Amino acid sequence: MTYIDGRASGEAKSGLEQHLSTCDDCASLRQELQTMVSDLERDAVFEPPAEAVQFGIDLFQPVRQPAGGKVRRIIAALVFDTFDQPAMAGVRRVGAPPRQLLFRAGDVDVDVKIEAMVANDRITLVGQVLSNGAKFFDNTPVKLESHGMVRFKTTTNLVGEFSFDEVPKDTYHLSVDLPEGQITLFCVHRANA
Amino acid sequence: VVAATYTQYKDAEIVSLCLEGDAHAWETLIHRYKRLIFSIATRFGFAPADASDIFQSICVQLIEHLHELKTGERLSSWLMTMTTRQCLRFRSIQTRDEDDGNLSVADPVDPKENLEAIRLRVEREQMLRRCVDDLPDRCRGLIRLLYFVSPLPTYEEIASKLEIPVSSVGPNRARCIEKLREIVLARHVE
Repeated sequence: MTYIDGRASGEAKSGLEQHLSTCDDCASLRQELQTMVSDLERDAVFEPPAEAVQFGIDLFQPVRQPAGGKVRRIIAALVFDTFDQPAMAGVRRVGAPPRQLLFRAGDVDVDVKIEAMVANDRITLVGQVLSNGAKFFDNTPVKLESHGMVRFKTTTNLVGEFSFDEVPKDTYHLSVDLPEGQITLFCVHRANA
Repeated sequence: VVAATYTQYKDAEIVSLCLEGDAHAWETLIHRYKRLIFSIATRFGFAPADASDIFQSICVQLIEHLHELKTGERLSSWLMTMTTRQCLRFRSIQTRDEDDGNLSVADPVDPKENLEAIRLRVEREQMLRRCVDDLPDRCRGLIRLLYFVSPLPTYEEIASKLEIPVSSVGPNRARCIEKLREIVLARHVE
């Protein structure tokens, strides 16, 4: 290794070089070690910027169940779906129409509209969290989960509206974190959006 | 060192842990493949900012397709393919913008090597990184400090970190490189 590093000198170096000129096995070993060391030395060049790595790490937001199960999961009931409504006679449309759904959990309604982007195989999902009472659910966390992970998250605006723009088509559970519990809504499947 | 305990886990185990919601596993996955992804973009001749964009888009694709990669066997190949495709797409966008007279986009550079040569080189480098993961703890720590940490520390800093005399960094390095070579050879035999 001293020789590979270029730190050998004098008799040791010339003796080794003489041996390498006649020994194919040792010459091959030298070549092998030199390639390996130069690969290792060059590897730092391929380190992406720290902020790009952090971006990659931060993409992962696993669904964590709070200790003790203090947060109640409420499955909302689907009360309206345009998918179930017959098309009006004589109405034509190019492409799939947006799908509108209404879910209800206790006195909370969640109105959701899903629009498929044919061009890029993505969906845009907008909605509003509404209460039977007078209050709006502002600044409420809304998450799209799939495969055990939170894939996208946002918060509602002043009037309880939220949107997920052009997310990839997939099977998602939409959840809304309310003080009384987490409302889990539904699946947006590749085939139904 | 992040998620050090996962370093020697196989890809399939790491992917399974990710799908169970383990953030450390995901972090391990990113660290394991960050240089592979970035090296492809770099070899295509992209500027660091563009290479970063490509890296980030591949991270997004990885998380989107993670559930399809449960076996983990093809993860390395999948990442190489997706990154190469993304580089080609990126290059074609840059070329189109340039044709439209948008001079604010830097000149795209053709890959210095052909795609197959890039693939073989990237595979070899990734295999070497994985072999480093298989080294005994002390050797792995030394090799990482010598080659994988950015910015690279001096021998004095390495000696201090590993609590060994400065004079023994060189001989230890030689021993560890030899062990690494044995692991590489064993992998080739497999």
